Amino acid sequence: MSNYIFLFDLDSTITRKEILPTISERIGKQQEMRDLTEATMRGEMPFKTSFLNRVRILESVAVSEVSDIVKDIPLNEHIAKFILENRDRCYVVTGNLDVWICKLMEKIGMLDHVYCSKAQVFEDKIGNVISVADKELIVKQFVQPIVSIGDGDNDSGMAKYADIAIGFGGVRDIAPSLLRNIDFAFYDDKKCADFLNTLL
Amino acid sequence: MNSSNTSVIICCAGMGTRLGIGSTKALVHLCGTPLIIRLLENLKDYDDIRIVVGYQADKVIKLVNEYRKDIMYVFNYDYESTGPAASMSKALVSVRENVIVLDGDLVVNPLDFRTFLNYQGECIPYSLKTSDEPITVRVEEEKVINFLDKDSEYEWPGMLKIKRENLSRGQGYIYEVLNPLLPFPTICLRTRSIDTQDDYDRTMKWIMNDFID
Repeated sequence: MSNYIFLFDLDSTITRKEILPTISERIGKQQEMRDLTEATMRGEMPFKTSFLNRVRILESVAVSEVSDIVKDIPLNEHIAKFILENRDRCYVVTGNLDVWICKLMEKIGMLDHVYCSKAQVFEDKIGNVISVADKELIVKQFVQPIVSIGDGDNDSGMAKYADIAIGFGGVRDIAPSLLRNIDFAFYDDKKCADFLNTLL
Repeated sequence: MNSSNTSVIICCAGMGTRLGIGSTKALVHLCGTPLIIRLLENLKDYDDIRIVVGYQADKVIKLVNEYRKDIMYVFNYDYESTGPAASMSKALVSVRENVIVLDGDLVVNPLDFRTFLNYQGECIPYSLKTSDEPITVRVEEEKVINFLDKDSEYEWPGMLKIKRENLSRGQGYIYEVLNPLLPFPTICLRTRSIDTQDDYDRTMKWIMNDFID
């Protein structure tokens, strides 16, 4: 048995749909959200700036409503199954907000295994964003050997420090910057999970 | 040896500069079909296929993804300073009991490809020497005796079927990794490798003649 710890990006890696654009559909701001998301994936804007702008687009939506939408977002079934079956060795590393993803994390058994951005909530609305997760800094904290799995530009930092870096392009294309920093890529959920199982 | 206990590694990381087309050879079209797709058409029964990419990785991935999704891509961005053995070595993580290795610039007679896949045992196949820059092999009594034999009329087409435990890692050429294993069982296959413009022209004619000389 290996000592690998598995670090998963959330959006388009565990989820089969992108989270923030899905929420933005509820308030008719999907185009605004899509433009920002695409620019971020292409690495045209620092993640922190882009994320704060994207939170601002969604700040009018009740936090309880967002967390319910996120909880029901479809998942990549085989990757989610791998996480559920290997909870002790899996962590989610995401820029998304704790208060938005908490119900989904509970559903996949990752509530106490998640590194994410944090926000204060006032009267069921986002008050202030307290911190924005820096994936590269997070991965550097780990002592055990790491396998990282992600798809976006902001997963590159995580990939650089991982012992095995995997790109998952099953939902959207793997960001060009990440393609330059990974060891392996998969475009099929089951194939990716099969490979992860060989690394246990 | 069957498709469920075999991993297939296709090495497509290099630049194909000798062909003078500025693209990796896996993307070269022959009679309308890219080389990498021609190889994959022979591997429909195999479910652990690993394609090593480097130069123009994004283009190779895009092309193959349109054909089938369940491929594992392995990245070798050191393709300019390392050889095909480095590409192959990177793809050996968690491979199955048996491993098939294929050069990405290979064209094989489809009947002979079937013979190779069905062959029960390890083998380093050989072909009649046809390419401009061959890795020649000496063959005696259905065994490969050595590589780079100047007087030989045969070449190694860059194909291999081997048990996982017999395959070592390397940085240079794959035949250097195989040298310590010689003599090694072999079978004769009709193949073409495409390194130069003349190879390309001859192979086009060969395909149009139903893969027969």
